[in-house]
Amino acid sequence: MGEHAERLVAWLDHELAENEAAAVERHVQGCAECQSEVEDYQRVSRAFDAYCEAAMSRQARRRVPRWIPVMSGAAAAAAVVLLLMFPRATMGPPQLHPPAATVPTAVVSESRSAETNATKPIKRIRRRPAVALVQTQATIWTPTEPAIQIAIPAEAMFPPGAVPEGVSFNADLSIGADGSVQRLRLQPRLAGFERRPNQP
Amino acid sequence: MSDDSVPLMFPFSRLATDSSEATVLYGELRKPLLRYLVCLGLSPDEAQDVVQDAFLSLHQHLTAGGSQENLRGWLFRVAHNQARNRQSSYDRRYGVPLEADIDPVVEEATPERVVLEKEKFRELGKAIRLLTESERECLLLRAGGLRYREIGEVMGIPTSTVADTVERAIKNLAEKCNG
Repeated sequence: MGEHAERLVAWLDHELAENEAAAVERHVQGCAECQSEVEDYQRVSRAFDAYCEAAMSRQARRRVPRWIPVMSGAAAAAAVVLLLMFPRATMGPPQLHPPAATVPTAVVSESRSAETNATKPIKRIRRRPAVALVQTQATIWTPTEPAIQIAIPAEAMFPPGAVPEGVSFNADLSIGADGSVQRLRLQPRLAGFERRPNQP
Repeated sequence: MSDDSVPLMFPFSRLATDSSEATVLYGELRKPLLRYLVCLGLSPDEAQDVVQDAFLSLHQHLTAGGSQENLRGWLFRVAHNQARNRQSSYDRRYGVPLEADIDPVVEEATPERVVLEKEKFRELGKAIRLLTESERECLLLRAGGLRYREIGEVMGIPTSTVADTVERAIKNLAEKCNG
C-alpha cells in the first residue's frame, strides 16, 4: 500500500502529474491489495453514476402524471399563439346566433316554475351574454397579414405547468435577412384583461 | 416591447447559430447538467429552467465576446449558483432524489439479481446520505464529467482540496458498500 494508496482515486481519474501517475501505476501493478482497492473504487464510482441516473429517471417518471392537468393549458396556449400568428386564416367572421336558440329550455323551466309557483319562489338563472362575448373578441382581434407563418407546439416552448390556465401570449418575432429568427419574445396576457389606454 | 415580456424557451441550437461551440456543449452537457441539478434536489422542471437559463447566459456570454476558456466549468458554475439561489428547493436536496428506494437499472435481470441490485442500491443510498455536503457535491460534479480543477472552480475550493475530498468520499462509499 504505502503512500500511493492515498492517490489511487486521483490516479484513476487521470488527475495526477505524468511522473506521479507512472509511479502509482508501477506500484499498483505489483501490489495485489491496491489492485483490489482500485477495482472497488471503480465499482463504486460506476454505482454512484448509476444511482444518480436512476434518481433522475425516477424524477422524470414522477413528472409524467403532472402533464395531464396542464396539457389543456399548454394546448390552449399553443392555440392562442397560432391564432395570433394567423388571425385571418383561423378567425373567420363570427357566426352570431340569436339568443332565442337557447330559449326552449328556459320556457320549459318557466312553465314548471309557474305550476309550482304556489309552493316555491321562481328561481332566476343568470345567463352569460354569449353574443356580447363574441362581439368583444371580434373587436379585439384585428387581422393583419402575417409575413411569415410559423407553427410552434406548446410543449416545445413551455415546461409542464409553466402556462397557467387563462394565460395567453403575444408573439414578437424579428426575422433576419437570411430567414433565421433573430429575436423571439412572448408577452404574457391574462384572459379577460386588456391594457387600458394611457390616461391623459 | 414591455419589460414584462418573457424570453421564449426555444431550442438552444436556434439561438446559437453563431456559436457552434455552444451548440456542441448543449448536446454534450445538457443531460449531465440536468442530472447534477436533479441530484442536488431540484425538481425536473426547476432543473430544466436552470439549464435553459445557463445556456442562454452562455449564449449571451459568447456573443458579448466573453472568454471561451473552460466553458464546461463555466456552465456548471452558473447552474450551481442558480440552484443555490433557488434556496427553497435546494434545501430539499438529499431528501427526495437520493433516497434509499431508488430502483437500479438491471439489464437482463433475473428476479434474484434484481433483489440483489436493489439491496446494493439501498446500501449505496444510505452511504451517500452519510457523506458530507461537499463530498456529495464533489462526487456529483465528478459524475458530470468535470475535472478536479473545474470542480474547484464551481465550488470555490482549491484543486488539492477537491482531490482529497473525492478520495475520501470514494473510499468511504467503497468501505460501506463493499465491506
